[in-house]
Amino acid sequence: MSRKVLIIGLDCAAPELVFEKFLDELPNLRKMLGHGVHGRLKTCIPPITIPAWMVMMTSRDPGTLGLYGFRHKKSYSYDVWIASSRSIKHKTVWDILSERGLRSCVVGVPPSYPPKPVNGCMVSCFITPDATKDYTYPKELKGELEARFGEYIFDVEFRTEDRDRVLKETYEMTRQHFNVIKYLMQEKEWSLFVFVEIGLDRIHHAFWKFFDREHPKYVPNNRYENVVKEYYKYLDREIGDLLNLVDDETVVLVVSDHGAKGMKGAFCINQWLIREGYLTTKGKPERGARLEESQIDWSKTKAWGWGGYYARIFVNVEGREPQGIVPPEDYEKTLDELTEKLKQIHGPNGEKFDNRIYRPEEIYDELNGDSPDLIVYLDNLSWRSAGTIGYDTLYLSENDTGPDDAVHSEYGVFILYDPKSETGTELQNLSIFDVAPTVLSILDVPVPEEMKGKTITW
Amino acid sequence: MIKVREGFGVWLTGLPASGKTTIARTLEKALRRRGLRVEVLDGDEVRRNLSPDLGFTRKDRETHARRVAYVAKLLVRNGVAVIVGLISPYRNFREHARKQIGNFVEVWVRCPLEECIRRDPKGLYEKAMRGEINDLTGIQDPYEEPLNPEVTVDTSKESVEESVNKIIKKLENLGYLPST
Repeated sequence: MSRKVLIIGLDCAAPELVFEKFLDELPNLRKMLGHGVHGRLKTCIPPITIPAWMVMMTSRDPGTLGLYGFRHKKSYSYDVWIASSRSIKHKTVWDILSERGLRSCVVGVPPSYPPKPVNGCMVSCFITPDATKDYTYPKELKGELEARFGEYIFDVEFRTEDRDRVLKETYEMTRQHFNVIKYLMQEKEWSLFVFVEIGLDRIHHAFWKFFDREHPKYVPNNRYENVVKEYYKYLDREIGDLLNLVDDETVVLVVSDHGAKGMKGAFCINQWLIREGYLTTKGKPERGARLEESQIDWSKTKAWGWGGYYARIFVNVEGREPQGIVPPEDYEKTLDELTEKLKQIHGPNGEKFDNRIYRPEEIYDELNGDSPDLIVYLDNLSWRSAGTIGYDTLYLSENDTGPDDAVHSEYGVFILYDPKSETGTELQNLSIFDVAPTVLSILDVPVPEEMKGKTITW
Repeated sequence: MIKVREGFGVWLTGLPASGKTTIARTLEKALRRRGLRVEVLDGDEVRRNLSPDLGFTRKDRETHARRVAYVAKLLVRNGVAVIVGLISPYRNFREHARKQIGNFVEVWVRCPLEECIRRDPKGLYEKAMRGEINDLTGIQDPYEEPLNPEVTVDTSKESVEESVNKIIKKLENLGYLPST
């Protein structure tokens, strides 16, 4: 009898919490660890939902995919484009399975809006604008789901001080998602079922400071102290329900695209570029002003940056950017100089930062699409990057785009549960690139040579 | 909210030779400079005085930790800043101390075992490896790493001052010390 694969994707699931801190209270996940293999899953650079899930599902790096985050700067312009399913030109595991006549159900894997044809069915992900759009493949699936589960919930607004609302809405969303999944798992035919739940990422960002005693804003005995743990316990119960729906021929994976850790603060990358003489604005900006293209004096700007969990730096190159001033022959020198200076950035009290600065062309197999010139992890992501300007400091204790207490970290979770396996083994050196080849191998489908990862065996 | 009149307990946990005593003594000085009344309850000395009857079985270690937590509790409730330096290898001991003491700051004094063995100021690791001691934490006895400490310091990477500054910063964030 041929095997099947169920992938339970938990966006942002942190190995420290799943494998250590909460494990005693997660009976279903603990059971899974006893049958198969598991370990920390090293994610891609950058460790962000988009591109990381597609990196996992294609076993190609972000450079090859031409996907470096949610937003991208358009080539030869200062404009921005937003990633969507249309940005994905490489074959995912379900594309490969479709070619072989195997059926897949794909739910919520970013970026999957607009939904693309698949031999099976697809429900798009959190980037879907709203439920009035066509968000399923086939199109009729939308009506089938809405008749049973109401209007589909794609995401919650989590950067707000109204934590009670975030909590309520996240549970509503996640419950609905699991109900949809249980329905599809039972009603549709599939060899691969893959879904991603975004709720955990939202819970981490909104509630991390309430349980992590090392967080600078942790307050003992606060009312949200157990929110993160309770949500993991809730997910564990849902996973237990899913395990009851599959037979012993089904291999179940629990994976995450990246991990999470407490945010120490936000570093004002553009303010720093202004101080270092790389960036010039017209007039004096208001505190917290967005760096608008129209406000930049491009004739005096060599480089500018973007905020986010990591910083992106762009060089204003003559002949490449519309008003570029850095001569192409000085491009390398400018990047070297910037890299040296970025390495020296330290904390507000002089603390050493573990800064990591990457040149896209050095870390990726190919460089497609619109890559930034530098990718910067400030203090190995513990400090996020603030793109806004007008500050008299370089250090903010809060995120500049709304309340957020967590940042991403470079290891996610990998659990492979094979009900037929009698042993559970922890593995080292697992990579996000390994997931797709492993899934194909379980389904007895040859792994394309271009895939970067290895097949995990047990 | 500044709770300067209340005491607090800084509980340094970590492997033998991880640097608990050094941090405790440096932190003690820093807190005294801020005008606090400080007591240090550090491993060997406190054991000699409080638990000369006890060995290093799990039960004895637990009894000793309970005694130390009790003394710390008495001091904390009288406005003293108490610094405890104790291997305290089991999570449930430390949770007990947390509940007893109340204003509790768990500091994981982290240091790779290889580095602790290299330091070995008391020759304990050497004795354990020669078989002369059979209950040394890290070699024969387990050390349960903290899952959610208030502070983690890594003495193999940080200077003593950096580690102590992290602890002081956390005491300020929690309102146990006024910010400077």
